[in-house]
Amino acid sequence: MLTADYNKYARKEKMIKFLFLWPTLIILFFLIAYPFIMLIYYSFFNFSFLRPVNTRAVGFKNYTSILTDTYTWERFIFTFKYVVLAVSIQFLLGVFIAYFLQREFSGREAIFTIVLMPMMLCPIVVGLFWKYMFNTEWGVINYFVHNILGFNQVEWLGTEKNSLWATIIADTWMWTPFMILLSSAAFSSVPKYLYEAASIDRASGWFKFMNITLPLSAPILILALIFRLMDSMKQFDLVYTLTGGGPGDATQTISFTLYKTAFQYFYTGEGSAWAFILLIIIIGLSSILIKLLNYLSERNK
Amino acid sequence: MTGRKSIAKRIVFIIILAVILIYTLFPLYWLFLASIKTRIDLFTIPPKFFFKPTFNHYKRLFIYTTLETGEEQQTRFLFWLTNSVIEAGIGTTLAVVFGTMAGYINSRMEYTGKKDFMFFVLSTRMLPPVAIIVPLYIVFARFRLADTRFGMILLYTLIGLGLATWIMKGFFDGIPTEVEEAAFVNGYTRFQAFIKILVPMVKGGIAATAGFCFIFAWNEFTFASIIATRYAMTLPPRIVAFMGTSGFEWGIVAASGYILIIPILVLFILIRKYILMGMTFGVLGRK
Amino acid sequence: MKKTKWLVVLLAFLFAASFALAGGTKEEGAAKKPGKEVTLTVVWHGGVCADMLLEIAKDWTAMTGVKVEGALVGYGPAWHDKIASEFAAKGSGFDLACWDSQSIGEFAGGGHCVLLNPYIEKSDKLKMSDWSPEMLARYGEYPDASGKIYALPINADAEGMHYRKDLFEDPKEKSGFKAKYGYELDIPQTWSQLRDIAKWFTRPPEMYGLGMMGGREYDYLTSVTNCLVWVFGGELWNPKTNEIKGYIDSPASIDGVKFYIDLMQYCPPGVETWGWDEVNTAFQTGKIAMAHNWFYFFGAMDDPEQNPYADATGFAILPGEVGRDGLFRREFSMGGQGIGISKYSKHVQEAWDFIEWYEMKEQQKRYGAVCQTGRQDVLDDPAWLNANDYNRLFRVAFKYTNDYWHLPEYAILLDILQEETHNAITGKKSPEKAMADCADRQEKVLEKAGYKIKRTPHVDVPDTVCPNPCGKPKIIPIHVD
Repeated sequence: MLTADYNKYARKEKMIKFLFLWPTLIILFFLIAYPFIMLIYYSFFNFSFLRPVNTRAVGFKNYTSILTDTYTWERFIFTFKYVVLAVSIQFLLGVFIAYFLQREFSGREAIFTIVLMPMMLCPIVVGLFWKYMFNTEWGVINYFVHNILGFNQVEWLGTEKNSLWATIIADTWMWTPFMILLSSAAFSSVPKYLYEAASIDRASGWFKFMNITLPLSAPILILALIFRLMDSMKQFDLVYTLTGGGPGDATQTISFTLYKTAFQYFYTGEGSAWAFILLIIIIGLSSILIKLLNYLSERNK
Repeated sequence: MTGRKSIAKRIVFIIILAVILIYTLFPLYWLFLASIKTRIDLFTIPPKFFFKPTFNHYKRLFIYTTLETGEEQQTRFLFWLTNSVIEAGIGTTLAVVFGTMAGYINSRMEYTGKKDFMFFVLSTRMLPPVAIIVPLYIVFARFRLADTRFGMILLYTLIGLGLATWIMKGFFDGIPTEVEEAAFVNGYTRFQAFIKILVPMVKGGIAATAGFCFIFAWNEFTFASIIATRYAMTLPPRIVAFMGTSGFEWGIVAASGYILIIPILVLFILIRKYILMGMTFGVLGRK
Repeated sequence: MKKTKWLVVLLAFLFAASFALAGGTKEEGAAKKPGKEVTLTVVWHGGVCADMLLEIAKDWTAMTGVKVEGALVGYGPAWHDKIASEFAAKGSGFDLACWDSQSIGEFAGGGHCVLLNPYIEKSDKLKMSDWSPEMLARYGEYPDASGKIYALPINADAEGMHYRKDLFEDPKEKSGFKAKYGYELDIPQTWSQLRDIAKWFTRPPEMYGLGMMGGREYDYLTSVTNCLVWVFGGELWNPKTNEIKGYIDSPASIDGVKFYIDLMQYCPPGVETWGWDEVNTAFQTGKIAMAHNWFYFFGAMDDPEQNPYADATGFAILPGEVGRDGLFRREFSMGGQGIGISKYSKHVQEAWDFIEWYEMKEQQKRYGAVCQTGRQDVLDDPAWLNANDYNRLFRVAFKYTNDYWHLPEYAILLDILQEETHNAITGKKSPEKAMADCADRQEKVLEKAGYKIKRTPHVDVPDTVCPNPCGKPKIIPIHVD
């Protein structure tokens, strides 16, 4: 009797696994994997969807021409600078603000919603609007910097260094709420009795944070970091509307270069090669973080 | 002495809170002002904080005044808004549902290729939309999904699935397996345990996931602008298409920014308590 | 087991709901009805001209029952991308599309639009001579000088100038200017005069002499620097030999770029990020005395509701310049769009019928009230010419226009030119190096696309060897009343 029950149980388990996993798998396969396979295929050709004449197979030439181009390395370096700076600032700020909002105080829920608002805006609107605010002449930011604080007018979008920081500022403003939200959810899911137990032992706030909150929320925090990192590498809407890749080609992230190659130039073959290279980079970075995530999850169990 | 320390703490607390609020709110406030300023007021030097407001920009989102006769007609704004609601709403729902299911399985069970599956799911979020949009569009066109609501819903489900699966797995991982074991002992099937016990426990995670997926789908620009043309068009690509005789309509961009944010704000107000509330289920506790 | 069934039911319900709300595909709706209602979709960038087209199209709907709907997109690269993606996927998402004149090479060259010659020849409503040969050539002909037309002019545009008449006519300004520079303060006929006037009116921080586009995006910067390159006798390339080296980096072309850099000091700071939006705003807020702008925006400059200085605004044709070979040239960029029919449209005949009707004189006259038409008889019509202060100028201006390369690789060449010129004006590279790099990269693009480049000896002033050189031995002023 036990064996029969067990078989029934095993079959049900299997059916549930099947039912639960397959919708996800099917949708993802058709809508992502299949076009991506097409992409890889095209990356070996000198092909353009728009100008289909002159197509010929070129083997790895697309890849080598990208990797040996000096501009490519400039783009990589810029993208890394931007991603590392932006995501670190967002991570630190986000965790700090989330922790800050953990306490109970009147109006907490309203404040929490307000703090999340920048993330809710459309990235296109955010990019355009920050462009307006960063305008050298009419921008309100320069108004504060120049008229009120007395510094020189900053050409925010006119020089390389400034436009890097302008992009970081706009990106941070917009995406820190993502970290805040996930961190809050993570902090909220730490069982309260652990804090109570620590209070009984006269533990300080800092101690509680370092030894209870942080370790238990670490998996979700790392997950948030992974997502933020990936989204940042893919970042397009903001750069597109804020700087247009300028000045010159200073703020062209890899994602933006991909857009230019695949869309403005419609060099499908080369664009596909770029996409694949970008994917490899992101996979590499995420793998490292995922390993960390798995290690922390296991440890928590 | 304790009194002084806690007053000092309170002051620091309030200062930090004020800084956070100003940093977050000032651009939002400025954006709101921009949506009610006339074009001339938008560009004065120094920037105007006090001016005569106009609601013309909001009006122009909904009402179009013909050039020749000056009569007023409705724009298609409500149509695009409806599309956005349907496409992002259903897409998010499907993404959260499927993602929760897949996240649960991956948290609790083993099967061959589990690591690969999870990685594959994550990898779908790694590629910038611009990379696959043309092949994707070709696939859509072949299946006659281009410019259809169903196609867009599918797309938004896709965008949310990767996020939902991983986040929910993370939350399920945070629940000890003893919870289900206790449920089994009490006669629940695995499915019942899932629905009745585990899902309520991860309400915070579901709320956060739903919030993110909806935001990403609602604000999505690249795919919507290419895959949808008329019948399935959502709002974000339309915002930048407002151009007046003097050029770019900043007031309208600001106004539409605010209109766009309303549904998301409503959603977040509804789910905020799920995110903020702590886990009170501590019956089994941890060893 | 009951619960599992519940789940299946729930999933099925969700799918059904999404189908129901999704409303099926549009093809189902259209194809199932016999004697179906045809809807034509037009893609253009949002704006007054598109609004006008759709309004006028309502009369067509009233006449024939064919609906004309717009799928308007934002101005800028997104507009080009939308059309390009649809063509690339061979989709029938739109039937008609309006694209920048320069994109004709890309779209016609890729075989995505319908050849219009047979339709025009058979037509009893339109003839080729309705437009001037340059109009047709610029907006719809590909390849150059082949006579094959793939698009008809839908909106004609050129660059021009507007200025503060009140400042120019102010006696104190006039006498001060004459005392300093030795000639009357008037509409400049050469760029050197324009520079003098700009210098005169530059009184930071309240006012600057000139506003012009300089942004990296799209074609903002180069639409202005091209004017300067051309008037100094430079050229972008030689269409007959496909050479770019020795043309865009010739001494004459570099003279033009350097002149732009010189002019920047008389513009408000930040001009290297400006598009036409900023130029408009600067003029409307009284910050600049002169503006280098598109005729498209002259209507807004003339409108008191948009421009507080509307009554004080005068319009003019851009100046020319004497190059290092002593010859005078007056040239500037053209703009505007042509409308073409997508080859993958399911309603090619209906699309043509609509365009045929729309390009007739009556409709174009109505359109001419807000935008510039390409039809010659409307452009010559006294009613249109006298409708405002600048229409007359446009008719004259179009004769002096020059354009970018009409090649399928236009978008790529443009981006390279924009990038390198922007590097030059922001000081990242010297003008000589920037233009040399530009020529190098552009030639690589042409070679990659399979063009053969024939090397010819280089000259300092390429305009003298290009087809249709335009240097004149003396300065020819233009006064249009």
